[in-house]
Amino acid sequence: MILLQSPSRFLLQILQDRVLSGEKGMDIDCHTVEFDDVRYHIQFSMRNPKVMVLSVALPLPPPEAILYEGLPLGAIEAIKAAYGPVVQILDPPKDGFDLTMKISLTKLPLDEEQRNAILTQIASIREVVLGAPLKLLLKHLASKTVAPNVDKLVALVHRPNESFFLAPQADKVTIVYPMRFQDSIDIVLATSFLQEFVEARRTAALNNVPSCMWSPAPPLELKGVSADALNANAGFVTFVVYPRHVEGRKLDRTVWNLLTFHAYVSYHVKCSEGFMHTRMRRRVESLIQALDRAKSDAEKLKKLVHGGSFKRLSLTNEGDSRF
Amino acid sequence: MDATARPAIVIDNGTGYSKLGFSGNSEPSFTLPTVVAANESFLDQTELLSSSNWIAQYNAGIMADLDFFIGDEALSRFRSSGLYTLRSPIRHGQVHDWDTMERFWQQCIFNYLRCNPEEHYFLLTDSPVSTPESRECTGEIMFETFNVPGLYISVQSVLSLSAGYAYLKSISDDDSDTTSDMTGVVVDIGDGAPQVVPVVNGYVIGSSIKSFPFSGSDVTQFVSQLLQERGELLPPEDSLDISRKVKEMYCYTCSDIVKEFKKHDKKPDKYIKHWTAVKPKTGVPYTIDIGYERFLGPEIFFNPEIYSADFSTPLPELIDNCVQSAPIDTRRALYKNIVLSGGSTMFKDFHKRLQNDIKKIVDERVAATNARHRVEVKPIEVNVVAHPIQSYAVWFGGSVAASNPEFFEFCHTKEEYEEHGASICRTSPVFKGMY
Repeated sequence: MILLQSPSRFLLQILQDRVLSGEKGMDIDCHTVEFDDVRYHIQFSMRNPKVMVLSVALPLPPPEAILYEGLPLGAIEAIKAAYGPVVQILDPPKDGFDLTMKISLTKLPLDEEQRNAILTQIASIREVVLGAPLKLLLKHLASKTVAPNVDKLVALVHRPNESFFLAPQADKVTIVYPMRFQDSIDIVLATSFLQEFVEARRTAALNNVPSCMWSPAPPLELKGVSADALNANAGFVTFVVYPRHVEGRKLDRTVWNLLTFHAYVSYHVKCSEGFMHTRMRRRVESLIQALDRAKSDAEKLKKLVHGGSFKRLSLTNEGDSRF
Repeated sequence: MDATARPAIVIDNGTGYSKLGFSGNSEPSFTLPTVVAANESFLDQTELLSSSNWIAQYNAGIMADLDFFIGDEALSRFRSSGLYTLRSPIRHGQVHDWDTMERFWQQCIFNYLRCNPEEHYFLLTDSPVSTPESRECTGEIMFETFNVPGLYISVQSVLSLSAGYAYLKSISDDDSDTTSDMTGVVVDIGDGAPQVVPVVNGYVIGSSIKSFPFSGSDVTQFVSQLLQERGELLPPEDSLDISRKVKEMYCYTCSDIVKEFKKHDKKPDKYIKHWTAVKPKTGVPYTIDIGYERFLGPEIFFNPEIYSADFSTPLPELIDNCVQSAPIDTRRALYKNIVLSGGSTMFKDFHKRLQNDIKKIVDERVAATNARHRVEVKPIEVNVVAHPIQSYAVWFGGSVAASNPEFFEFCHTKEEYEEHGASICRTSPVFKGMY
């Protein structure tokens, strides 16, 4: 899995199970937390079997991003447009959450494919809500206009207390991410990963993608932004998006990928660490084999108890692990 | 928001299935088979390619290491395409392939649970007979790769006990038993390494742990053997799969084999079930009859000699031996609270049969003592506790434990790890009383 996926697996699983089980079933009351502090609470009770209640909590916004009544700009319109009559927004939202929706199971389309599409959309609620302002701006880009009343530089919520910046213009949109990591190893790996990113962009096969730049210092577009927002220990990544990247169905994918950029980089950093561990273990294994060859025969006859108290563990304790 | 304010992540990795979810929920978010299907084609190439040819390396090596699936997706990919090799990182309850385990956790956290590991405390589970080295390796992977802020590696048996208590408390109306003293025998029969573990006051008595060689997969094997011996037409590639489904749907525990054979023979229509399916290769539908397998399958726990000539101690006797080898002052309490956990204990009436058999052994012994010494020993109460959440009892116990506000103080934290190294994970608090 190279890219993070848009619908939440857990929500989708619950919704599909509920739709399939029909009349029978048990009460559901589950809390889930996703990366970047997005919390979901889904409830279903057999006393009211035609309805499920889903509440969403969004990350704490940084001071420079503006939210309207706790939700990003355009979120409510986006929800109405995406789900139609199936979903009804409850006001005020439940305690501790920013948005509560009532999903009417009876109003789902009868055709199985359409129903699955709507359920997948509901499970992608995060993309719809958090991505609403980004989607508006990119839609304007697709039609090659600039949205009225939009400042030169827009700050959108990216992670708790962090934001990313957009500079929309008529023919392109420049997006800048200040990248921050907590662990020192992560910072080093992320910096080299992002620099490789930029290098990879230069290969011939990737000519049509948005251009990408990395710099350790804040780029010129961020002049005038407060110093707090600008302390990034893994540099600044800049993407330039053109209208051809946001036409038609590419718009949704672009919105999701831009929205979860930090999570994507963090995921790949951790995968690289895992991969390096694999290489390290193999190396240790080969070095230990060299040591074993140096042992005298008498020592080798001493049977090693499986899982005994020796400090080393071999890669596979019982020979070949393949089926 | 601090990591302690967010729910902890509870992952129970078993030989057959892994249960993952957030603490505070009453059931796991995901239950998936513990298998990884990986694309191994790149492994040989990484040694040969030099850095100048990095584009080819890019395509074959660098992205290919992310080309793997876990759980049900892994099984379906493995069947549909020859490119993937199926690996199972856990055998007999213990991790033996750390690379695969690390990848499994990676997908669990980023693809299924979709959370940032740096923001949650983790509760992982471990078999009671696992080595300190394996706990150290687990801690190393969690702290180094995933940067978790805190980790607690718990023993599966203790969590099953607390799940039993929590469940009984939730369905009982009286509040009399407010302090559960965490004493009991946990009979954990999952897909691999069934064990009988006595726990006293929350501490595992390591020397009295007994293990039983047959698990859920052996029952499946036995059912499949019986069906084939009788000449039922099972397509060979699906036989284990079908046997497993037959086992889960139709098997039950009887109270006496001889009587059960007679019941089956007298009324075949009531007892014999049919299984219809379609052959995968030809698409031809077929039916098989399921008769004696229904009760002979689970019978291997009570009469192991019908399955294998090597082992002949039935499970009730094993449990009895286990309790008798525990300190004498704990034995009554242990008999009173025998808790079942694991998917293979969910056969219908399993707990009743177990309770009857153990009670018979115990009563015989009490009668012999009474006769020999002319005393009246108080009869020993034998109680086998069963509850509907047995298949994920360990996970549930973990969820309950992690929602306790004191849980965060018991975890090993990242600061401790960086100060002292991975050896902090070697000790588990439940063993501290013993060594």
